[in-house]
Amino acid sequence: MTTVSATLERLVKAGSGVNANKCYQCKRCTAGCPVAGYAGMHPAQIMRAVQLGQLDMILDDRFIWLCTGCQTCTTRCPQEIDVAAVMDELKILARRKGRVHPGAPSAAMLKLNYDSFVRWGRMWEVELIARDALKRPSGVTEWLALGPKMLLKGKINPTLKRGDTLAMERMVKTAESITKARANRAGDGGAA
Amino acid sequence: MTAIAYYPGCSLHGTSAEFDASFRATAAALGLDLVEIPGWECCGNTAAHSINRLLGVALPVNELVKVEKDLGLDAVAVPCAACFSRFKTGAHEVAGDPQVADDVRAVVGRAYNGGVTVQNLVDVYHDAVGLEQLAAKATRPFHGLRVACYYGCLLTRPPKVTLAEDPEYPTHMDAVAKAVGCEPVEWNYKTDCCGASLALTEQGIVDDLTGRIVADARACGAEAIVVACPLCQVNLDGRQTEIARKRPDWQSVPVVFLSQLVGRAIGLDDKTLGLKKHLVDVMRVMA
Repeated sequence: MTTVSATLERLVKAGSGVNANKCYQCKRCTAGCPVAGYAGMHPAQIMRAVQLGQLDMILDDRFIWLCTGCQTCTTRCPQEIDVAAVMDELKILARRKGRVHPGAPSAAMLKLNYDSFVRWGRMWEVELIARDALKRPSGVTEWLALGPKMLLKGKINPTLKRGDTLAMERMVKTAESITKARANRAGDGGAA
Repeated sequence: MTAIAYYPGCSLHGTSAEFDASFRATAAALGLDLVEIPGWECCGNTAAHSINRLLGVALPVNELVKVEKDLGLDAVAVPCAACFSRFKTGAHEVAGDPQVADDVRAVVGRAYNGGVTVQNLVDVYHDAVGLEQLAAKATRPFHGLRVACYYGCLLTRPPKVTLAEDPEYPTHMDAVAKAVGCEPVEWNYKTDCCGASLALTEQGIVDDLTGRIVADARACGAEAIVVACPLCQVNLDGRQTEIARKRPDWQSVPVVFLSQLVGRAIGLDDKTLGLKKHLVDVMRVMA
């Protein structure tokens, strides 16, 4: 069943400060998008779906998880809409609702990345690759194509240097609790 | 010596140690005293701003507060383009929205007063060192090596945040390359995205994107591509090995960091600059 959410545009605005209703579908965002064409939807369609409250349509597609955050859409939008921030906010909403797209390994990679720098104070690149490979057999094959060559050249430094983990832990806790309080106030406590 | 704070970031301690080493060596040789931020944390990179927006702003601002209050310096060099983008975005958001400033202050524990200039790799050579000084120090300049200067996404976009000269066709890196004897080519993919961290999960897409960038650089006459971002370097250099397997007629183009190019021209040795770490051999243009 398709759920139409009249509050989607308001949720996006509450989280990102961006008014998606300013979009008039010129499609400059799509024209410049490096990953438009690799998923079912493209940026201008995502913007229209936000206006129309079509959250399911957005979350059932891989597009938001392919967005690299290159900022071309944001740079070129004639309405000065921060389109890339809308994509980020949709990723945040998807996680809050437990609706991360199962066919988008980049979503899990972002979370591994987040957990890594939260754990060590710094992101440990080798850990991301190793943990990804544990969950995704094709990740092993992909890594074997380049990883050993890079190790032999000394391109990959496998050791970890920690940051100030106590400071990181304190900042993460505070940021997560402020964010949760704000989401509750915006009327989205996390229910799907 | 001019003292300037230094934020290496996670990649420069991980897969791009040669970027860190070549940047430090060139800075020292060009009269900059780099002061690494003590106990620096990850800037949060792409993950933080797509999982917790506030944390994505607070982490880089925390580093800016350390530079401002603990080190007492008014500039920080952030050679990684992705970290640079997070630092600029953090400063921009705190300055532009009192609510964000309050939230960030609660997370960081101290307020940021906006007293630190954030410089990317190109800014350091172009502005902090200066083109005349750079040319004067180039004791071993290139003799017209044709290079494609690749800016990628985050050195220039979004221009409201980076205040870049021309986000669609920037020229400052070209000017730096020219100052050390290179001949920058005009080309089409200066600011197109290489696919960034999709290289870990969506290799097919990244092969398409990097393949187009490298092919255009070559078609426009470049003998090498110059970059200022660890992820751009690892993608443009690394993916060519895979592209070549699929396309037997593929002609590889070496991909060097701007800091390696500058370092070679001011007479630093190959080992310091890490010139043997690339998958596509760079010695044919850097020897």
